[in-house]
Amino acid sequence: MKIFEALWQREKTALAFAFAAILLIPLANAMGWVSDLNLNLLGRYFCFALAALGIDLVWGYAGILTLCQALFFCLGGYCIGMHMLLKTGTNGVYGSALPDFMVWNQVKTLPWFWEPFHHFPIALFLALCVPVVFAMTFGYFAFRSRINGVYFSIITQALALAMWLIFLRNETMLGGTNGLTDFKTLLGFQLAHPAVKRTLFVITAVVLTSAYFGCRLLIASKLGKVLIAIRDSEQRLRFTGFPVARFKLFAFTLSALLAAVGGILYVPQTGIITPGRMDVKNSLEMVVWVALGGRGTLSGPILGAVGVSLCYSFLTGRFPGSWLYFLGALFVAVVLFMPQGLAGALQQLPFRKRANNRSSTDIGPAALAASMAGTSDIHDPSGDAQGTGADPLTTRNTTAGVTP
Amino acid sequence: MRRNFRTKFYLLNLFLWSAGCLSAPIHGQDSASAAKALPVSRAMVKPAPDSGASAAPVGTFNPAGNEIPVAALLDTLLKNPETRTQTIKALIPRADHNLQDFFQNLFKGNLYEYSPPAAKANPDAAQPKILVIAGPETDRDGENWVQLFKTYPMQALLDENGAPIYAKTADLTELETDREVRAMVQPLLLAFDLDNPDAKKRQSAALSLGESGDTLQLPLITAALEKEKDGKCKRLMQEASARIRLHSALPENRAAAAKALGDLHSGSALAELKILASTSGAGMESDEGARKEITRAVQTIEAYASYTSIVQNIFTGLSLGSILILMALGLAIIFGLMGVINMAHGEFMMIGAYATFIVQNLFHKYLPAPYFGYFLAVSLPIAFLTSGGIGVLVETTIIKRLYGRPLETLLATWGLSLLFVQSARSLFGDLTAVSSPELLSKGWEIFPQVVLPYNRIFIIFLTITIVSLVSLIFYRTPLGTLIRAVTQNRAMSRCLGIGTRKVDALTFGLGTGIAGIAGCALTQVGNVDPGMGQNYIVDSFMVVVTGGVGKLAGTVLSGIGIGTMNKFLEPFLQSVYAKVVLLAMVILFLQNKPSGLFPAKGRNEDL
Repeated sequence: MKIFEALWQREKTALAFAFAAILLIPLANAMGWVSDLNLNLLGRYFCFALAALGIDLVWGYAGILTLCQALFFCLGGYCIGMHMLLKTGTNGVYGSALPDFMVWNQVKTLPWFWEPFHHFPIALFLALCVPVVFAMTFGYFAFRSRINGVYFSIITQALALAMWLIFLRNETMLGGTNGLTDFKTLLGFQLAHPAVKRTLFVITAVVLTSAYFGCRLLIASKLGKVLIAIRDSEQRLRFTGFPVARFKLFAFTLSALLAAVGGILYVPQTGIITPGRMDVKNSLEMVVWVALGGRGTLSGPILGAVGVSLCYSFLTGRFPGSWLYFLGALFVAVVLFMPQGLAGALQQLPFRKRANNRSSTDIGPAALAASMAGTSDIHDPSGDAQGTGADPLTTRNTTAGVTP
Repeated sequence: MRRNFRTKFYLLNLFLWSAGCLSAPIHGQDSASAAKALPVSRAMVKPAPDSGASAAPVGTFNPAGNEIPVAALLDTLLKNPETRTQTIKALIPRADHNLQDFFQNLFKGNLYEYSPPAAKANPDAAQPKILVIAGPETDRDGENWVQLFKTYPMQALLDENGAPIYAKTADLTELETDREVRAMVQPLLLAFDLDNPDAKKRQSAALSLGESGDTLQLPLITAALEKEKDGKCKRLMQEASARIRLHSALPENRAAAAKALGDLHSGSALAELKILASTSGAGMESDEGARKEITRAVQTIEAYASYTSIVQNIFTGLSLGSILILMALGLAIIFGLMGVINMAHGEFMMIGAYATFIVQNLFHKYLPAPYFGYFLAVSLPIAFLTSGGIGVLVETTIIKRLYGRPLETLLATWGLSLLFVQSARSLFGDLTAVSSPELLSKGWEIFPQVVLPYNRIFIIFLTITIVSLVSLIFYRTPLGTLIRAVTQNRAMSRCLGIGTRKVDALTFGLGTGIAGIAGCALTQVGNVDPGMGQNYIVDSFMVVVTGGVGKLAGTVLSGIGIGTMNKFLEPFLQSVYAKVVLLAMVILFLQNKPSGLFPAKGRNEDL
């Protein structure tokens, strides 16, 4: 009960946003005040936010920068897409029981790995399982051999590139460059129907909300503390006897799971999934959402994902060609001027600072309450970071190479 | 004695024929002036007889005299439409170079019957029709006129006053030919090419003759072989001759041909030989002995092919590795020595490539053609300076604030790379190409069928030069000492009065400058486009990670390793899967050596 009390006290804003997303916006859509298109767009951005939440968990808290989040996002998406494509069946353009792209490629029988996707529960299970198992296998080998920091980032980037290349091929039977499209139904519901779209939106909002609060609880727990400790000094933790690799593997796998859930919800709402979603750029873009929103805050990544995606829709519509300039400048500006992201910048505002100080004294030193807000981790980490105003997330890196 | 005479006669013919070739004009002014030397009236009234040049046949040695003259045959062609096909058949073995134009125009359907107007001196006497070749059409008062040429040899047709004759196309009747005739003529045209002074023409003719497998053409190619001096042409002609003999009716001829092909390591005949060697199917060889020989030839050729492919793979692997080394060298300097992840490294390479492109265009515009070949030599330093200069600029504005935060530099430089790519796209468009200088456009044929292109050799040597220069700079110059000192202990260096800021900027500039040189080298093997940098960035990071960041030798070794490995995997797997397998191998490798081949020594916490 104490936990929920604390939730109510510290998370009023988040709860208000969740209320709006789950109830008010769908209601407004039903009344006709919010267009179907905008509702759909927002739903998709929530899916991105799920993936960004995963990055925040693994990068913001455990200090592991992963550059293949879009890959896990797409693995989930492809699995559910395969199911929906099989359900389209003979309603496709060519009237064949096989997906259309197989008809073009003169494939006569369904490849064996498509068979399980005929049934929704199995497909859903696989959609969650495949990315998780993939992440676990990859993470196991990477963390076991202590591939750290930048090395890990580069390896994950190479992984994203390799998988992207594989998905681009026609002979892998995953639709090649064109990806999977022409979905008609999910569990018998017509995907094009506005009510179905609204339901999908509500489901996405509910999942995002629960993921957010789930992560909050996780971070508040002892497990969360260990993750933060890994970020701040992995060596010290290892010397104290913690199996660091196992914790890192857990965080990495959980983040892959979040991305996969995002992908599963994304595909029915978008109606298409292509390898273009999983290329190197997309993973980096997801990272910049987190960096812009503020890593180590949980709320920041959601803000960042939705905000940057909104900018994308706006800019590509109004000023085609300007998007890459904007995104590039955003990358540079965030790193240079807002090392703690938007959420961090908001906390830095004078009136918030006072409110923060007061609230922390109000609640007292109770460990739970203090850690409920991930932001407090940033503001009172260890003594040395406060004086200099340096980014505590990276203080550990300053010891490497450059300064003695 | 008799033999001596024949040789002499042959040589004489050859001489006269070449003289004829030189003097036989094709079109226009020259033809008119050349034809003036001939008696005009004769040229007017009947098709020219042997006009000066003797009729040395293209193919077999065949002194004219005991047969009907070519001119008479041509005459028959006109007069007896019924026997046209036979006449042409009779003409083919007699084909000499003066007939080349005739056959070419026959093939194109450009031969016409022409009735000359009555002569002024004798207006009543009807003029006989003559066979003419029509020149290109010109529009005169809304009607199409063509200049007329004699058929044997092709020379401008002149009137009494020595002016070229033109006729309306409407007044001409086309000499009808059927498909059969054209099919007969086509290989003959190839045979003419076999005698072409241009070696390229001879080679392509030999290739297509071999492809046709037409036994009728064997004498032609045998004759051409006797005369051939050029080694490569000779080889191709031998190959073509053997491929034709493969179709011979006699099994022992076929066996001999197969043996010859095997000895020549003829890759182009391999598919054909394989069909013949098969024990079933439509194209199989019926004779047991010949088949044995053919099978042996297939084995020889395949063994040779696998041998050459190994050489080719090592070579292309080395050149790919060289490009990776050039890329990764800059990265390793920046990453290993400064702790900065430069994701925009590929874009600095792109800047170097565009600098080369601009230098090339300037050379084109402002310098005379003979100097054009030097543009690459000029653009190398310019590419270095441009990329290095922009690198210094980037370092002083952005990177400077991010030292000690490698993950942040990754994000910032990635943003920078997006900015560079988009700027290049709006400045230069999507695709531009840099041509190779004449010197580099050819290749070195180390043995038959194995050609190592000079541009790739150039890249390998460039890489060797740059790597040695960089290690010289690092270990033998004051700047290198400074760089190493700052890398090892920044604070202490500063205490000793080293301007660390300046050294940082110079180091970054050096790294990006080398990327610029890599870009310049890359223009010789690929297109220049805004996205070119991103194709290489992940690979070069793999090189750096595998090599370890401690020593330049690690980068060089892993660059060569990854490059050749890639090329060796590609034939077995497709390039995509080769990449995946390579990634798996790198991950497994890092299991044993987490910080690469040559890890940085020291007690620093991990980077």
